[in-house]
Amino acid sequence: MAGRSLLPAAAVLCWGAAAMSASSYRSPFPPPSELRAPLDGANGDMLALAAGARRLFADLWFVRLMQYYGTREVREESAEPGHEGHAHSLDAGGHEHCDHGADYGKGSYPEFLPMARHIIEVDPAFTAGALYGAASLAFNLERPAEAEELLTYGLKYSPKEWRYLTVLAAIGYSKAKDPAAVAATIAPLLKDPDCPVMLKQLAAFLNKRAGNYGAAAAIYSDIAATSKDEAYVANARRELEKLAGAGAGKPR
Amino acid sequence: MRRSAPVVLAVAYNSFFESVRSRFFTLAAVFAFTAVYASVLAGVMAVDQEARLLADFGLALIELTALAYALFEASSALPREAETKTIYLVFSRPVPRWAYLAGKLGGALLTAAVMLAVMAAIHVSLLLFRGFDVPPAYAWALAGTFLKLAVIVSFAFFVSLFSTSPVSTLVISGIMWTLGHFAAEARFLAERAGGLKGFLLGAALWLVPNLQLFNVRDGAAALPLGLPAFFSAAAWTLSSYLGALWLLSRKEF
Repeated sequence: MAGRSLLPAAAVLCWGAAAMSASSYRSPFPPPSELRAPLDGANGDMLALAAGARRLFADLWFVRLMQYYGTREVREESAEPGHEGHAHSLDAGGHEHCDHGADYGKGSYPEFLPMARHIIEVDPAFTAGALYGAASLAFNLERPAEAEELLTYGLKYSPKEWRYLTVLAAIGYSKAKDPAAVAATIAPLLKDPDCPVMLKQLAAFLNKRAGNYGAAAAIYSDIAATSKDEAYVANARRELEKLAGAGAGKPR
Repeated sequence: MRRSAPVVLAVAYNSFFESVRSRFFTLAAVFAFTAVYASVLAGVMAVDQEARLLADFGLALIELTALAYALFEASSALPREAETKTIYLVFSRPVPRWAYLAGKLGGALLTAAVMLAVMAAIHVSLLLFRGFDVPPAYAWALAGTFLKLAVIVSFAFFVSLFSTSPVSTLVISGIMWTLGHFAAEARFLAERAGGLKGFLLGAALWLVPNLQLFNVRDGAAALPLGLPAFFSAAAWTLSSYLGALWLLSRKEF
């Protein structure tokens, strides 16, 4: 009987001990005051916190960002077989010219930065998402200041993240109009599994333009072999054919 | 105590097989398989991040499915035995109440562990089939999920002994699970609020188990799970068990 009356006290003691041992826990995530959900994302964020599923919801935000960025702001397409997905320009004489979608990814995309930033607000460890966002902003959308803002925010929670620092340096060289330095700076990033394919494409393009055909071919081969993005894979194969035709297929 | 060990095992064994034989277990297994397989579709949309999305989606679904099943079992096990009068039969034998409750809790946790193992096997097979590596902290993520389930299932047993129906037990335990994930955010709000409001909110936080401590799946917990995590889980589980035992000992069976 005496034992029975001690049970509630023992239960409270155990609960207190558990709460005490958990009191030293500090969350690695940004505080709620930093969560700025763009569009209609507040409900999703609530669910992410309630279910302890920040990683999953950061993934979903990443998918949303890619869908947003993958939607053309101005839709122009050529009907010619092999040239679907990009427009052909006309010269003064009315002749059609193809540059194989050199403007691919260009546009204003005003929600891009808030959406990209939100990915790392929800999960600051999602390095690939931040790199994709920063590289797109800096090199495709030509908004380096926004890319720097995104990477600076990422560095706040991952201060030792060398990949962020690498892209920041590449943005600096890009602003200084030094494409060779950009290519050299991002070179160590290319072997990293979290490196966005878009950065690889940029490195290959810059190497090709600088005359480093071997290096460009090696990067295009890597894109063709590892990426799951069909547009990039198709482009890499096309470029490899061109480089092989020019006799520069083998890496130097 | 030593003579009661076979009793605990017998109750746990019986409780486990009763769970496995139930139709709801099969339904949960089918749902888990379908849901994990359906995550392939979401994975494809993530293009180069397919492996990450597939891993995250699978782990979250595994946890939610196991939680739903374990909570359903925990909230209905004792009321069902009382309703069918089975509990009278059990206590007419030399079965101590603490052994009966320990057996029931052990059976529920064993069922949860088996569910986690089966779903994880399906998930890992799917990842390997798709040509991806298993995430490095996968086993720790499952261990963290199990600790969360242990804390919340034992709490559900405690609540089921004073709540009016299994549904209300489910709801109360579900709310506790949600609050457990909000612990860090609630602490931040308490610090921000300050004064009496902050003090009251901070004090209320002591009543809620901090489930983020075990949330390896989300990268919230330290890797590997440290001693404080295991100690906290054991203390919260034991506390709910002792509370439930106290309530059970006051009932007339």
